[in-house]
Amino acid sequence: MVSGAIAREADAAGRGNFSMNMEDQLRETLRRRDPTVGFAERVAARAQSGHRAKPVRRLRGLWAASVLALAAAVVLTATSLWQRAQEERAGRQAVLALRIASEKLSQARSKVLWRTENQ
Amino acid sequence: MGSPEAFVDLVQRHQSMVFSMAYSFLQDRSAAEELAQDVFLELHRNLASLQSRLHVVNWLRRVTAHRAIDRQRKFRFLTPLVEIKREPVAPAVQHDPILTEVLGQMIASLPAKQRMVVILRFQEDLDVADIARTLDMPERRVRSYLHWSVALLREKLTRRGGGISL
Repeated sequence: MVSGAIAREADAAGRGNFSMNMEDQLRETLRRRDPTVGFAERVAARAQSGHRAKPVRRLRGLWAASVLALAAAVVLTATSLWQRAQEERAGRQAVLALRIASEKLSQARSKVLWRTENQ
Repeated sequence: MGSPEAFVDLVQRHQSMVFSMAYSFLQDRSAAEELAQDVFLELHRNLASLQSRLHVVNWLRRVTAHRAIDRQRKFRFLTPLVEIKREPVAPAVQHDPILTEVLGQMIASLPAKQRMVVILRFQEDLDVADIARTLDMPERRVRSYLHWSVALLREKLTRRGGGISL
């Protein structure tokens, strides 16, 4: 009983010690460190030059937008041309069908007339 | 704070905090410097709206934390954080440098938000309420992340025979 209590106390003390060491070790691992020499001056220079990176980003955005617009225009034009070609083809086919039908009718009429005359 | 010299002073005063947060999170010195530069450039753009020194510190912590987490989201498939070798650090007086390196890699393997919570707690020494404000998350979640992360790190260290006295 007594030895159990002592063991529990020792265990608790050990855990406390572990926690403290763990937190110390985390603080040590995550201690602050400095960037390379001249960091502040480099940042200030970039800030004074009006964040040169920004126009580049803007240009990139413009470039991407123009490419997208061009691609959209090409797709729209191609679709429109394709539709027109389809319509023209359908029209030609309709005219051809009418011509064939007209020829067949004409042949049938000739046959009927020939038979009527021979009877 | 408007003159270039004043801005250099301001950067020098806070560069260690911003760079260390970024470095502890990203484990990559050049990426951390790039992120820190972007944070200070944004600060330069927003100087007029920042009232006090404390406001500047809180603003910097907040922007650095959010930018680091966003960056991690963007590049999560490109950065094998666990495999990254930690930068050599100056040997600590009372701490084991190998253990520091191992623990650094373990922290880097935590999920982004949990990692930032650990950094804000143990690097910036913020309490739960301040971490919650900085990361825009409920205090209960911060407590849970902190508890979960420390327990996980402790378990991993114990499994490796971490060198911490039990």
